Amino acid sequence: MTEEDPNTSKEHRPVVRRRRRISSVWIVPIIALFLAGWLLWRNKVDSGPLISVQFATAEGIAAGKTELRCRSVPVGMVEVVNLTTDLKTLVQIRVKPAYEDLLRDDSRFWVVRPRVSTSNVSGLGTLITGAYIELDPGTEKKHAENFVGLEEPPVTSLSVPGLRLTLTAKEAGSLAVGSPISYLGFEVGKVERRTLDLENEQVQFRILIRERYSELVRKGTRFWNNSGFDVTAGADGFKLRTPSVQTLVTGGASFSTPRDMKESPLAEDGDVFNLFDDQSSAEDAHFIPDTRALLMFHQSVRGLQRGATVEFRGIPIGRVLDISFKRAAIGDPRVPVLIEMESSALERALNITKSADGFDIKSAVRNGLTAKLESASLLTGALYIDLDLEEVDLPIEPEMQENLVVIPSQPGGIAQLEDRVNAILAKIEALPLDGTLAKFGNAADEAAMTIADARETLDSIEETVNEAKAVLASEDTQKLTAELNKTLAEMRTSVNSLGPEGAVQGDLRRALDELRAAARSFGELSETVDEKPNSLIFGRKSSGDPIPRARR
Amino acid sequence: MIDDPSSGDFAADLGLASCSCCGKLSPVDLGDCPRCGKTLHLRKPFSLARTIALLSAAIAFYVPAMTLPVMGVEGVGTASAGGSTGGSTIVGGVITFWKSGSYPVAIIIFTASVLIPILKIIALIWLCLAATGRSRARPHSHAFAYHITELVGRWSMVDVFVVAILVCLVRLGNIMTITPGPAAISFATVVILTMLSAMSFDPRLLWDHHRRSA
Repeated sequence: MTEEDPNTSKEHRPVVRRRRRISSVWIVPIIALFLAGWLLWRNKVDSGPLISVQFATAEGIAAGKTELRCRSVPVGMVEVVNLTTDLKTLVQIRVKPAYEDLLRDDSRFWVVRPRVSTSNVSGLGTLITGAYIELDPGTEKKHAENFVGLEEPPVTSLSVPGLRLTLTAKEAGSLAVGSPISYLGFEVGKVERRTLDLENEQVQFRILIRERYSELVRKGTRFWNNSGFDVTAGADGFKLRTPSVQTLVTGGASFSTPRDMKESPLAEDGDVFNLFDDQSSAEDAHFIPDTRALLMFHQSVRGLQRGATVEFRGIPIGRVLDISFKRAAIGDPRVPVLIEMESSALERALNITKSADGFDIKSAVRNGLTAKLESASLLTGALYIDLDLEEVDLPIEPEMQENLVVIPSQPGGIAQLEDRVNAILAKIEALPLDGTLAKFGNAADEAAMTIADARETLDSIEETVNEAKAVLASEDTQKLTAELNKTLAEMRTSVNSLGPEGAVQGDLRRALDELRAAARSFGELSETVDEKPNSLIFGRKSSGDPIPRARR
Repeated sequence: MIDDPSSGDFAADLGLASCSCCGKLSPVDLGDCPRCGKTLHLRKPFSLARTIALLSAAIAFYVPAMTLPVMGVEGVGTASAGGSTGGSTIVGGVITFWKSGSYPVAIIIFTASVLIPILKIIALIWLCLAATGRSRARPHSHAFAYHITELVGRWSMVDVFVVAILVCLVRLGNIMTITPGPAAISFATVVILTMLSAMSFDPRLLWDHHRRSA
């Protein structure tokens, strides 16, 4: 910091000033450093955390344009949109620091785009503003920065209180996300999510029952799909039951609790229920299965399906779970059928008290419990299993297979029916069908021949007609017609000449006169011959005495 | 320019000082300029200290000017709020233009906004080193560097002007609004500080030093 001129004689001035002024000048860079640091620090603090959300597609999402919103309040901004190695889109979002606590482990993200479906219309505002990402804060405390976004907006927010249950069904049918769940026709919940459970080959629906209605659902509640029409034909005519129009369009499910299940404990979050196809099948299923047993059939079980009812003297108490040879021992030709049933009906009928480890089905078998395959419908050939009690003299010791009690089976109604049908068939076989059939065959042959002849005749007729047609069409025929016309005209003139003024008429008249004169002279001749027969030889003057002739 | 700048008489040797305001040459013992009354100095007082102080301030502001967003565009559906990445910083803008093929625009922005300030800062540091005898280059190249620095300094404000004009013009309410980012202010500060720094530098110190070392 040499400032002073070496030749300057006054040396005291710079020394004094330098110290005082230097300190004041150097304030500038200190302030500058402070300000610049503050700017950088504020920018970093303002930016907040950078989170990443995975979506299947980034349609409508643009870096620096798409906002992150929570309840429509902007809480962040998309900064980077990337493609991951597995071809998903990774959207990185800068969240405002004030809203950092919304990033919980179970927070959900989805893209709000205009959506029009049968059940609702949403996101129309995004037509103008462009899509945005909606954040639904979860309920967990744990902080997270990596999320997987939802493809479809969730029907209800996680923070909406209520009972969340799972329904399982064989088919999705028309029940979809957003479909209403109704009780006595009144909407009390919604389907939140629909997933395919590949492992069990079924469709799972996660539903939400709103909190104020959650007490309606008990452990014994039945759910059924009420999407379609229900037509029943009964003794009092046809009965048509339809759900609401909205349900018709969007699908829907209903539930009710059978009277004897009203006292069952309340359903809890995460409980799984079966979704029945319709109300009647839901109402028929008045049982809570608690016992499993195995049936071994000697006959074919064709027509028996999974889910077929198991009845005890006509009252449904269970259903068929599985039909598979896997449960049979090797070398056992019998068909194993796994059933599950509610034991209370049997308990009462057999006076067996339930032990600690469930219903004692062994003692039931000892008491003569047997199973039969019965035909549920002769039209479809569907079978059901009928349990019955047979009188037994000696208690049978039940067979065990894979820790399951085997209920002895009897040839059921269908087997008896088969025997009868076989007998009828044998009789039909014995009938002299061959001769009759041969005769039938001959007659048929003859008929065929006749038909062939008739066809030939028809062919020749057709030929003739064709020829005649050709002749008629030929030029000669046309000419002939013209000549015929001419001839007719000539004939007409000839006929005219025959008329009263015609030339022939005059000639004819003259000819008649002459004929008349001739006749007269012939008359004279005959008189002469009469009077004088010889005159024929000698002439009239042979008498010599002419006699005057009198006029006749 | 004379061949040997160290030859000839120096006004300072004779105790004469040129008035920094009206240019009148008077003996420095008078204290104040006899014509306009301004205090007389042989050289700009504390020139090097001021230059270096202002220069360090400029360097301090250069960091936020380059890393922070220079402006934000808010429009219908496009709310490009100031993130620290993307094309909203000066360097990001240059990269965006370069990638999109607008090479001339990218070069202009890069030269005016990135290169010139940094070259200016480097040039001033070099001059300060030269004035204290820490540079071995020829004094004529020092003089040339000083001329260029003075001449080119103000053109760096182009960026700031563009942002200022855009902010004034593009105020269409909800449709589109441009707001200045923190980098715009930092950048303006950098330019102003380097200009002040260049002004406070006394080029005569270069020749003084040259004469001393000769």
